[in-house]
Amino acid sequence: MSFGFPWGLLALGALVPLVAAYFLRRRQKPVVVSALFLWRTPRPRAEAGPRWERFTREASLLLEGLAVIAAALYLADVRLGETARTKHLVLVVDGSLSMSARGPDGVTVLEQARREAAKRVEDEAATRVTVLATGLTPRVVAGPEAEPSRALAALETFEARGADHDPIPTLLWAQELASTGKHVAFFTDAAPVEGLVIPAPVRWTALGAARDNVALISAQRKDDGGTATVTLRVARFGPGPESVAVRLRALPGPDAKQGTERVEKVSLQGEGTATLRLTFQNAGDIEVSLPDDALPEDGHARLAVAPTRPLAVSLAQGMGSLERDALERFLGASPEVARDGASGEVLLIGPRGTDAKVTVGASGKSRTFVGPFFSEKGHPLLDDVQLAGVRWSAGENPPGRPLVTAGDAVLVSEEDDGRVHLNVDLSRSNVQRVSAWPVLLGNVVREARRAREGFVRRQLTLGEPLQLVTLPGKRYTLVGPGGSKPVFGAGAVSLPPPAAPGRYVLERDDADTVDSAEVLALDARESDLRGRSNADVPAKESGEDEARANASDRARWPLVLLLLALLGDFYVTRRAS
Amino acid sequence: MSERLDEAAVGRLAPGLALALPRGPHRGRVGEVRAASTGSSLELHDFRAYQPGDDLRQLDWNAVARTDELILRVRQDEVSPRVEVVVDGSRSMALSARKAACARELALLACEVGARQGLSPTLLATGVRSERVQGSACRAALRTLEFDAGDDLVTALGRLPPPRACGLRVVVSDFLFEADLAAMAARLSRGAAGFFLVQVLDAEDLSPSGGEGARLVDSESGAALEELLTEDVLAAYARRFEEHQRLLRAAALRSRGALLTAPATESLDALVRGALRPLFVAGGHA
Repeated sequence: MSFGFPWGLLALGALVPLVAAYFLRRRQKPVVVSALFLWRTPRPRAEAGPRWERFTREASLLLEGLAVIAAALYLADVRLGETARTKHLVLVVDGSLSMSARGPDGVTVLEQARREAAKRVEDEAATRVTVLATGLTPRVVAGPEAEPSRALAALETFEARGADHDPIPTLLWAQELASTGKHVAFFTDAAPVEGLVIPAPVRWTALGAARDNVALISAQRKDDGGTATVTLRVARFGPGPESVAVRLRALPGPDAKQGTERVEKVSLQGEGTATLRLTFQNAGDIEVSLPDDALPEDGHARLAVAPTRPLAVSLAQGMGSLERDALERFLGASPEVARDGASGEVLLIGPRGTDAKVTVGASGKSRTFVGPFFSEKGHPLLDDVQLAGVRWSAGENPPGRPLVTAGDAVLVSEEDDGRVHLNVDLSRSNVQRVSAWPVLLGNVVREARRAREGFVRRQLTLGEPLQLVTLPGKRYTLVGPGGSKPVFGAGAVSLPPPAAPGRYVLERDDADTVDSAEVLALDARESDLRGRSNADVPAKESGEDEARANASDRARWPLVLLLLALLGDFYVTRRAS
Repeated sequence: MSERLDEAAVGRLAPGLALALPRGPHRGRVGEVRAASTGSSLELHDFRAYQPGDDLRQLDWNAVARTDELILRVRQDEVSPRVEVVVDGSRSMALSARKAACARELALLACEVGARQGLSPTLLATGVRSERVQGSACRAALRTLEFDAGDDLVTALGRLPPPRACGLRVVVSDFLFEADLAAMAARLSRGAAGFFLVQVLDAEDLSPSGGEGARLVDSESGAALEELLTEDVLAAYARRFEEHQRLLRAAALRSRGALLTAPATESLDALVRGALRPLFVAGGHA
């Protein structure tokens, strides 16, 4: 049983005078009269009359007491069992990194949001709570309609580490979860920007404060051989120290006995940025850290070893000398290309008619074209490929989808399985001597590199999607700071930006780790705390917690009981008279 | 006024009073008053045919000569009339000590005056233990009379022996009960040549006092009623009382009797000279 308006139980106080009057009457001094019938039709009382009438007063008292109780229960909005009053409160918490910023008292904005959320739950006597977190991908922290204690406990373990994003989609989602007429409480660290259309039932509570901050806005590492090159960008938001010490600690690599530690002073003039580039030898993971300030999270980065993975390219037998020479010249100048087939995946380039991944050559009657050439716009193989001034001799049309055509001749095609055909007779063409040749081949190599299983990029910042390549039909598991989730192999997959920074490892079910990527907690927009503020924007429409809403939801059975009691009392007393 | 039976007052008043006997033929034993029944007095009553067994001395020979039929002279009885005093012994008669005393005094006065008048008084009291006494025993019975009956007069009459023919019947009660008043009056007047209803009423019966709420309890049934004694309530009582009195009066008249209302607040002397004047006439017997 629950009461929507417990103050209504004060009506039970009417029982006191009711019972008092009953006993008072009983104690009232009797006045003996000669003829009661001359006063009114007498109502027999306890001293005489049939048994039914003897207890009329008591029955009347009971019915009147029951009426008082029923009225009190109705006023108190009593609910029984499953109809017990439920009050659903939807809380939305900003999941961006700036919520981890600390105020002057050292308390993070997120912690303040937790306290405010708990207070809001208590003030509104919510019986069910849903907690959502905004982000590039909104998520449910607790609920829907979880018990308040569980919801608040889930909020306690929630960490805000997301990238900058628009909270409106999450607020709209929260509005739908809250259903019509109910309020949504949104906790963030900045007031809404002017012109932002906030959903009507949302109460926007900003708990932030403008603070200065120095942050890493970019950190990259490139390993070439045993040399690791680290490039950092440091930015200052607001008036602060004119120089900051950047500490770098390199763990020992496979061939090193001990790590190194360096501290570099970076000068921050004005409110701009400073770039720092360092090299380490035989270094393992490198930890970069800035002095802790309002937002310590954006001053730390761990750069894992990121060796280049050269693409193995092999030239098949039977290729003509012109073709082989042109390809050899390109491959010799192309970075991150290995000619040996030691690595598992090899890009095989062969002559026309073979099952090589890329075929170069022409067969049949040769025709020469000087333009116009028609290319499929936006195809990655044709990025920046300029065919102006090219003389292209082609033979019979190759199979596959045309990518470059001239007239009715297909010069470059791609099959469904990814095989690329360069329908070119180099003995009659000059394409191998213009910039289009290395650009085209570079695109081929790049696409081949992208098709390798694993992460396309191994170092990402907050807000960047996680792109990886999987083998179709295989089952993978992506393990990260937030747990693990399955990934089904479907070729190139683009996963939503991770909600939290950290290391993400791709594992295949029938193998060990396939690849790993590092998501750095770096987001310049989140590091800029100058625009944070404290505000409370009430909801534009009144919520369900007004008394009006409860009127229609009040249980009616107390009214029925009240009516029955009054009718019974009327019948009892009327019959006795 | 005494709240106890004032026998002295009764004794002072009785010698100068006489009961108002009815003018019509009386009923009773042989006496000096003409009876309604046939008897052996010198006064002729009527003629009838001779029947075997009749007294031959009563034959009217003149009528026989004229009609050649045996005609008998029927003469009126000369009877001595009785007075019967019926006292209501219900609890309402003891609503107050004064009311009870007034009822006793009036009953005693009727018995004393009747006795002086040569009317044999018979007292019938309808208490819990109903009793019937005659003559000098009436005084003692009235002294010890308890108004303790829980039922009204009409119901209590069932405990009494059937009324006998008498010259005068005086019924002393407050007549404040729900009953068929006409039937009651007819029953009470049966066999009586004269019939008086002497209604003894307390001050609270005539004009109840108002004020706060009261738990009114019927003196006989014990039924209770919560009532706030406002002016409207008292006015309603007065209306009902007047209506009851009207019905009672009409019932008495229908039975050839009379209703005499005796407020207990008045002295016996004032009652005799006022409200009870129709019953107690001046001129007594030594």
